[in-house]
Amino acid sequence: MSSAIIVRNLAKRYRVKKRISLLRSHTEVIEALRGIDFTVNYGEVVGLLGPNGAGKTTTIKILATLLLPDSGEAYVAGYNVIKNAGEVRKRIGIMLTVEKGFYGKLTGRENLEYFAALYGLDRVRSKDRIDYLIRLLELDKLGADYKLLEEFSLGMKARLSLARALLSDAPVLLLDEPTLGLDPPSARRIRELVRDLAHKEGKAVLYTTHNMFEAELVCDRILLINKGMIAAWGTPQELKMRIPKLRVIAINIKGEGRVDRILESLGVKYEIKSEENSINSIRIHAERPEDVFNDVVRKFIASGFEIVSARIEEPTLEDVFIYFSEGSL
Amino acid sequence: MNIPNLIEAEFKLVYGEIFRRRSALVSMIIYPYLFAGFTLFFGYTIGSPGLFMERVGVEPVVFMITASNMVMSIINTVDDVLWRPLHDAYVGTLPYIIASPINKLELFIIIPVPRLLLLLITGFTSIVPIYVLHYGLNGVVLALTVISLTTFGALTMSTLGIIIAGLVHTVGESWRILNVVRPLLMILVGAYFPRALMPFAAYITSMFIPSSHVVESIHRILLGDIGDVYLLLALAATLALVYAPGGSRSLLYWEKKKVSEGVKTS
Repeated sequence: MSSAIIVRNLAKRYRVKKRISLLRSHTEVIEALRGIDFTVNYGEVVGLLGPNGAGKTTTIKILATLLLPDSGEAYVAGYNVIKNAGEVRKRIGIMLTVEKGFYGKLTGRENLEYFAALYGLDRVRSKDRIDYLIRLLELDKLGADYKLLEEFSLGMKARLSLARALLSDAPVLLLDEPTLGLDPPSARRIRELVRDLAHKEGKAVLYTTHNMFEAELVCDRILLINKGMIAAWGTPQELKMRIPKLRVIAINIKGEGRVDRILESLGVKYEIKSEENSINSIRIHAERPEDVFNDVVRKFIASGFEIVSARIEEPTLEDVFIYFSEGSL
Repeated sequence: MNIPNLIEAEFKLVYGEIFRRRSALVSMIIYPYLFAGFTLFFGYTIGSPGLFMERVGVEPVVFMITASNMVMSIINTVDDVLWRPLHDAYVGTLPYIIASPINKLELFIIIPVPRLLLLLITGFTSIVPIYVLHYGLNGVVLALTVISLTTFGALTMSTLGIIIAGLVHTVGESWRILNVVRPLLMILVGAYFPRALMPFAAYITSMFIPSSHVVESIHRILLGDIGDVYLLLALAATLALVYAPGGSRSLLYWEKKKVSEGVKTS
């Protein structure tokens, strides 16, 4: 796999005027990016995850040639985003805010025709491509050929926005929170398409989202960005493995007896979460929970307890996100 | 770049906006009458048709309906160029336009064409009936001449409009500046207020506005004096061409400024 996006030591500061009284204001410097490095290969979806203000949209804007970085380098499809912005623009498809970015008095198809002209598609290619995309995104069933954009739902706008990003069949896609505010069916359709675009058509996709569930479903690799820096990266599984202390044995037992004494005899860290209807809900922390799992279960059974449920819990991507963005859980 | 395709797309965009918004269509038809009526009302309250004829040399109703049509066509061309970046920023299409590989100068030259054609068609609902009433059937030929020259005059304004747009939109709240620039252009173009009657400073300034020469040539035709008309038209075309490289640089400057600040995406 070759790299479609290469980012090296990319930094960006914003100077924002903040009013401190009726007549006075001062300029505040916000470090949006503090020298980030990453690559995105053809044929993969890379998720850019981070809290609000982490630098996700700034990164997307720089790669889309909509913002100049202060320092560092970024290459898209082999072209420098500053020196060869024109070449980069020929090779990217972008999807920014879903609810805006179209002309309200045009139909969905007419909007696509307009942007196809901006991308330099000739009449025949434009028609073929728009027909294909309207079918692909099932916009024909939703009336994109005759409904004015101002009558579109958010889900339809999102599909249309993705269709626009795909108009020029660009090899690199930059998608900024493409499912934000969408209903579950529309969000699912977009996720499926994004995965297919990368895995079947070999496109490189940089995908920002807040949604951990979505990131896990869509992304092959994830970059956790926080305060303008890459806090962690890897596949969703690799990221989870990086916080092993979050792996716990969750066990629910029924019966009478000194639960704490049994657990202390096992020499493990534990917490008793709740006690209802003589059912104790216990969480046992261990570096390698599978090593002590059998001992724990055996000991409780031997002490006359009934095991209601017992399992090893993996940390969720949300745990990973919070761990790396806030430093703890 | 596929220019015919882009022109077609712009036509669809503008006609979609106008024909699907009936109020916009109706206002396009009645505005020349409204403007003419308004100026005639003011004119009659402070003077007489006789005095107007004596000073300007053209019958006031003919002069004002012609002026209204010219101003609408010329100012709309400039308006399309001047306001389009603001409109695109408002509806959120600006980042997609900037991030597209299109040549921005080509786009901005094409932008006013569809609305201009539509405005020229409204010449048939405004100028033609008044000219026919005034000049008889000869009025049709005269009206067609005026409409054609107005088209030319409007097109010569696009490069100056692009220069202004590129510079104005690099500052914050540019719409405030546009609200000053627009009426100034309306006056200096000389449609309502003939250039010959302008104060010296305004007269000199108007010389740098390409369409003001076309407007003057139309006035001369209405006066029956066509001696220098070709010279005036050549001057307008020359000025438009002279401004073209400036327009290109101005757009480039605007784009660079936007990108250095960061194009708003939400």
